[in-house]
Amino acid sequence: MKTGQKLVVVLVLALTASAALMAQTATPPAQTFSATVYLDYRYFLSSAGPITLKPTDPTAAYLSNQFVFRRAYFTYENKVNDNLKFRFRLDADNTANVTGVALTGTPVSGTTLTKDDKLRPYMKHLYFEWSNFLITNQTLTVGMEETLTFKLAEDRWNYRSVAKTLTDGYKDITGEEIDATSADIGASLKGTIIKQLRYGIQVVNGGGYTHLETDKYKKIEGYLHVVPVAGLSFFGYMDSEAQQPKTVGTTVYSGTAYTYKLDAYFEMVKGLVLVGEWFKYTNPLKLYRPTLTDPYVEYCVSGWSIFGRYNLIPDKLNAFARYDSYAPNSLVTAKDMTLAIVGLDWAPLHTSLKFQPNVWFASYKDGSQYKSSLPVGKATDTIFYMTFFLSF
Amino acid sequence: MKKILTTVLVLAGLLAGAASAAPAGKMIQVKGSDTMVNLVQILAEEYMTQNPGAALAVLGGGSGTGISGLINQTCDIANSSREWKQKEIDQAWEKGVSPRFFVVAVDGLSIIVNEKNALEKLTMAQVGALYRGEIKNWKVLGGPDRAVSLYGRQSNSGTYTFMQEHVLGNKNYSTDMKEMNGNAQIIESVLQDEGAVGYVGVGYLFDKDGKIRPGLKLLNISKEPNGQAYSPLDKEAVDTKKYPISRPLYQAVKGKPGGEIAKFLMWVTGPEGQKIVEREGFYTVSGDYKALNEKNFK
Repeated sequence: MKTGQKLVVVLVLALTASAALMAQTATPPAQTFSATVYLDYRYFLSSAGPITLKPTDPTAAYLSNQFVFRRAYFTYENKVNDNLKFRFRLDADNTANVTGVALTGTPVSGTTLTKDDKLRPYMKHLYFEWSNFLITNQTLTVGMEETLTFKLAEDRWNYRSVAKTLTDGYKDITGEEIDATSADIGASLKGTIIKQLRYGIQVVNGGGYTHLETDKYKKIEGYLHVVPVAGLSFFGYMDSEAQQPKTVGTTVYSGTAYTYKLDAYFEMVKGLVLVGEWFKYTNPLKLYRPTLTDPYVEYCVSGWSIFGRYNLIPDKLNAFARYDSYAPNSLVTAKDMTLAIVGLDWAPLHTSLKFQPNVWFASYKDGSQYKSSLPVGKATDTIFYMTFFLSF
Repeated sequence: MKKILTTVLVLAGLLAGAASAAPAGKMIQVKGSDTMVNLVQILAEEYMTQNPGAALAVLGGGSGTGISGLINQTCDIANSSREWKQKEIDQAWEKGVSPRFFVVAVDGLSIIVNEKNALEKLTMAQVGALYRGEIKNWKVLGGPDRAVSLYGRQSNSGTYTFMQEHVLGNKNYSTDMKEMNGNAQIIESVLQDEGAVGYVGVGYLFDKDGKIRPGLKLLNISKEPNGQAYSPLDKEAVDTKKYPISRPLYQAVKGKPGGEIAKFLMWVTGPEGQKIVEREGFYTVSGDYKALNEKNFK
C-alpha cells in the first residue's frame, strides 16, 4: 500500500471511530435562521469615468439614482453540540439570471437565452464543521465552505455590505479574473498550535461556488497566522492549482497558477482596527497571444489595500476608510487604478439595522482601458452609496 | 512608496478625526452572566454611591455575551459564571485583549424542584441523568409518579455550559429541556410546575426577606451514590467543594486593570464588596481564588 493510501485509510478509520463515539449521545439542536441583506441607493457624483460616464444617447439607461438589492443571504445553522455544526446558506443576486432557452426562427434556426433581473437564490454554503477534530483546537470543515484566502481580512474590514475586500472584489473592480472566490467545495483543517500561531490548509475544486469542476486538478490553499503580541498579527497565505494543459499545434503548454498574500492586522487600540493587505496572482496559461511564437505569456496581477475602522460610539456609530491600489496586468500598466472609500456606519435603533453612507473615488490611469468610448488618459468615478444593512 | 505613505497619513488623519469626535467614554461597561447581573448591579450601585465620580453600566445577556463583548472591546468588564474556553482566550489575544480574571464570588449552583415534590436529595449522577433525558419520571428516583419537566438556560449562558461540563459529563442536554432566558424565569417555572426541576445560582433562591422563596424546594446533592448530600446553603461545604456543584464567578478585564476599573475590582474583591456578595446570597472569595486575584492585580 502506498503512503498516500495508508494515510487515507488511517483518516477514514479515525473519522469512523470518532463519529461512532459522537453518535452515542442525544443531539439537542441549537438551530438558527438568519437573513442578511445589503440594499443600496446609488448616485453618481461624477460623469467622466468608466462607470459614471453619461451616455450620449438620452434614451440609454444610466445607472445613477437607483435602488439596488446587492445581496440577500438566508442562513440556517444547526449547532448539534460543541463539536458539530452544520450550515446551509443561500445567497441571492441578479447578475446571471438565465431562466431558459428560447428557440428562434421558423423553421427553428437557433436559440437565445431568456433572462430576467429578479434576485434568484443559489447555494453559497453547505458544510459540516467538526470542532476539536482528533485533538483540541483543530476544526475540520467539509462541503461548500468559505475559502481561506480573505476570510480574516474580511472579518476585520467588517463592511462586506459596503464593498468586498481587495482580493475578493478584484474581478468586480478591474474585470480581471484571479481565481479568488469566497466559497468552494472541498475540505479544510484550521487550528491553533500555540496562541501565537494558527494555521489553515484547504483542498478545493478550484472553480468556486459558481462553477462545476472541469478538470482533475485541485486547488491547495494554506496560511500561517502569527500573533506575536496581543492585537498585532501577520497573515501569510499561498495557494496553487495546476492548470489544464493547452495545446497549440503540436506543443502542449502546462503550468500552475499561484496566489501569494500577506496581511498585517493592528488591533491594539480599543475600537480601532487597521489592516494592510497585499497579494499577487500568476497564471502562465492565462494570457493567450496567438500572434507570438510562444503564445502564453507569463504576467502577474497584483494589488494592495489599507483600511481602517474606528468605533465612535459603542454599538451605534463607526467610521471607516480604505485605499486600494490595483495592477491588473503587469504587461499593461495603463490598466492600473486606485479606489478609495470613506463612510460611516450608524445603527440608531439596533445593530440589526444600519445606515452606511459611503463614497467611492475610483481613479484610472487610462480610462480607455476600461471603456473604449473614454479618451486615452486619466479618468475618475465618484459614486455615493447609501447602504442599508439589515440583519435579522 | 510616496503614495502609500500619503495614503497611510490620510487614513490616519481620518481615523484620528473620528477618534477625537468620540465621547469621552468614562462609563465603565459591564456585560455578561445573567447569574451575576443582579449581584453586580447592586455592587456597581453601591460603588457609585461611595465614589460619586464613577459611572458603571451593567448588562446581562449571558456569559458568552460578556466574553465576546470583552474580546470585541464593546465592554470593559466581562462577567462570566464559567471559565473562558481556550478558543476564546486565543481569539482575545488575536484581537489585542490579554484577559485577566478575578473571582468576585462563589456560587453553589442550586438544584430546585417544586415544594410538592417529596424528594430531598439527589446524586450528581442522578442530576446528570435527569438533564440528559435518561430519567423521565420522578418515580424512578423515589419521587411521585409524575413526568419530569426540565428547565435550564440557553446555550450562551455560562451556567448552561458549567452544568453540561460538570454535571452532564459533557453530554448533551435532553431535547425536552425548556431553555429559559434567566434564573428568575426558571424559578417562576418551577413554582408553577409540580414536575419541574431547575438549576439556578444560589443568590436567586431568596426573597426580599432573605428566606427561600415559598413554593421552592432546594435539593441536597451528593458526589457519590452513597455519599453524604450537602446543601448549597452550607458555606463550609461550598468552600471545601463537598457541595459538588460550586463554582467561582469571574470578572475579566483587558490586561492589567488600571484607573477606575482597578479601583472597582479592588473594592468588589475587598471587604465592602464581599459583604454585599454575602448579603445577596453568594459566597465570599477565599483561599486560592483570593491568591489568584492578588496575582492578577500585579
